Amino acid sequence: MSVSLFFQILANGLMAGGMYALVASGLTLTLGVMKIFNFAQGHFYMLGAFLTFAVTVALGLPYPVALLAALLSMALLGVLFYFGLIHRPMAQGFFTTMLITVFFAQIISQVSLLTFAEQQKAVPAVVPGSFSIGEVTFIYGKLLVIGCAIVIMLALYYFMKTKIGTAMKAAAENREVASLQGINATQIFWVTMAVGCGLSGIGGAIIAPVLGCQLVMGQNIFMRCLLVLMVGGMGSMSGALIAGFLVGIVESFAFQFVGSLNLIVILVCVGILMYFRPGGLLGQPLPVPGE
Amino acid sequence: MSKVMMVALGVLVLLLIVFPFGVNPYTVQVAITTITYSMLGLAFAFTMRVGLPRFDIPAWWGVGGYTTALLMKDGMSFWLTALIGGIIAVILGALVFSIAIPRGMIPFLMIGMVLTLAFYQMYGSVSLFGAWSGITNVPPPTIGSFEFVAKRDLYYMGLFFLALNLVVYYLLFNSKFGRAWNAIGSSLRLARSVGVDVVKYRMANVLIGNFFLALAGSYFVGYYHAALPAVFSFQSALLVMVYLIIGGFTHSLAGPILGALIATFIPQYLRVEAEYQTIFTAAIVILILMFLPLGVLGWVDQKVKPWLYRQRWYARLNKGKVLG
Repeated sequence: MSVSLFFQILANGLMAGGMYALVASGLTLTLGVMKIFNFAQGHFYMLGAFLTFAVTVALGLPYPVALLAALLSMALLGVLFYFGLIHRPMAQGFFTTMLITVFFAQIISQVSLLTFAEQQKAVPAVVPGSFSIGEVTFIYGKLLVIGCAIVIMLALYYFMKTKIGTAMKAAAENREVASLQGINATQIFWVTMAVGCGLSGIGGAIIAPVLGCQLVMGQNIFMRCLLVLMVGGMGSMSGALIAGFLVGIVESFAFQFVGSLNLIVILVCVGILMYFRPGGLLGQPLPVPGE
Repeated sequence: MSKVMMVALGVLVLLLIVFPFGVNPYTVQVAITTITYSMLGLAFAFTMRVGLPRFDIPAWWGVGGYTTALLMKDGMSFWLTALIGGIIAVILGALVFSIAIPRGMIPFLMIGMVLTLAFYQMYGSVSLFGAWSGITNVPPPTIGSFEFVAKRDLYYMGLFFLALNLVVYYLLFNSKFGRAWNAIGSSLRLARSVGVDVVKYRMANVLIGNFFLALAGSYFVGYYHAALPAVFSFQSALLVMVYLIIGGFTHSLAGPILGALIATFIPQYLRVEAEYQTIFTAAIVILILMFLPLGVLGWVDQKVKPWLYRQRWYARLNKGKVLG
């Protein structure tokens, strides 16, 4: 393997990993705080990408507007989703709300299929071109994706240190005791939903200029995020970050050797890891429902 | 079982047997599809009983299907391929689930989903399985010189598999295993505290389910004469869940069958445009989950049965018995 190819594969891996980290963070947040497994998490990612296409190509607005639009609209959709379909059935338990998200995801898929008639759309590169160091070529677009992912993860880190972020962590650890401290559960839940879905949305917006928009990108990334969650530990944000990049890199290198069977390679690696470290890489996940 | 119940069951069995003679072949085909999905739903409900929702149904269904397709093309008897498929599903399942089950419900669920996707990729990418075109022209099942080709014969074969499935599950539910499973399903911690080996019993449950899923796969290939990756995809897992939600997943035997019946036959009469079918079904399922979370049978338990017990004629029919 040449040095150039190695760095290309690494860049692809870091790029994919950044996206996995973003979406998985949202997933683990809703799982940890609300005890809900949001099956539609990947679909918000897909919608964010298509929204970016709509804003930049159809409306001709600048890319930062698309980023903001994706973040805010997906956050808003998440809040509406929460109040419309999740808030009442939450009392019925984990399985019921999970199934509701499953079928909501189906509705999003089908509506998207009917709306965006073609399955794939291309978004123009934000920073076209590349530069070279020696024989290694770096594409600006991919570096921008990696950079944006890191910036957003940092923003998320500082958000979790704010008053509301701390309240979310408290609610995740023990909902009853948190409410005894005056933390309003409903407020925390819709904020969590907004943050979780907003993360996915902006992830989609970031990747759109490099990989375009495809209707299947939602389900594909969701499956990878499941593996990220298993590797990083459920309910652990830092776990999602590290595991996201790890899974992205392993997947990228595995694709080089075994093509589309790389998912099986990752699954085997995850299986081995789970055997020796059941809680994931970062050990102690936050409590989750069911045993 | 009361006399009324036995008579009702007898009538039902009789109806099932004469059913294909009174209807057109298309309806028999729909019945065959219903039987297949009933078996898948039964496996889901079976494992839900121990608190494990399984999303890996298409993976093991496919193991049975592809085993039958591959071995029958080499000339092996259908029945032997079904047995081999079941055994392979159990062995592979033991390998995978020895890691998944001790980790808990959510890892099991997630591994299940990833398994489905991984198997789907494998069926589609590996040339041994015919890649994305699958394996076609699989010969029909035979017993001696008799070939199961006619819809009616395939329907009876399906009834046989379904009956086998139901009988085995019923016997297990009323055994030591069933009691342990009920305990685990009711309260895992309590069950563990009285010494029930949760992992062992859950593993047994899942592997038995695997065997019957593979059997369902063999039956499917037996009548479809092909094994295609598109069939054994994640969409099928969702379909199975739809049936279970509609039927009611607290009823492990009747729920999936009723759900499959309702969800397979009703769309035949409610002609919705194909492109809106998915949205329509998903919306119905969400409404059921929100307002009728225990499905049709759950509604029967909560509303119809109490009404029935209050009726004088029902009390007269069950004189001397305690109702409810």
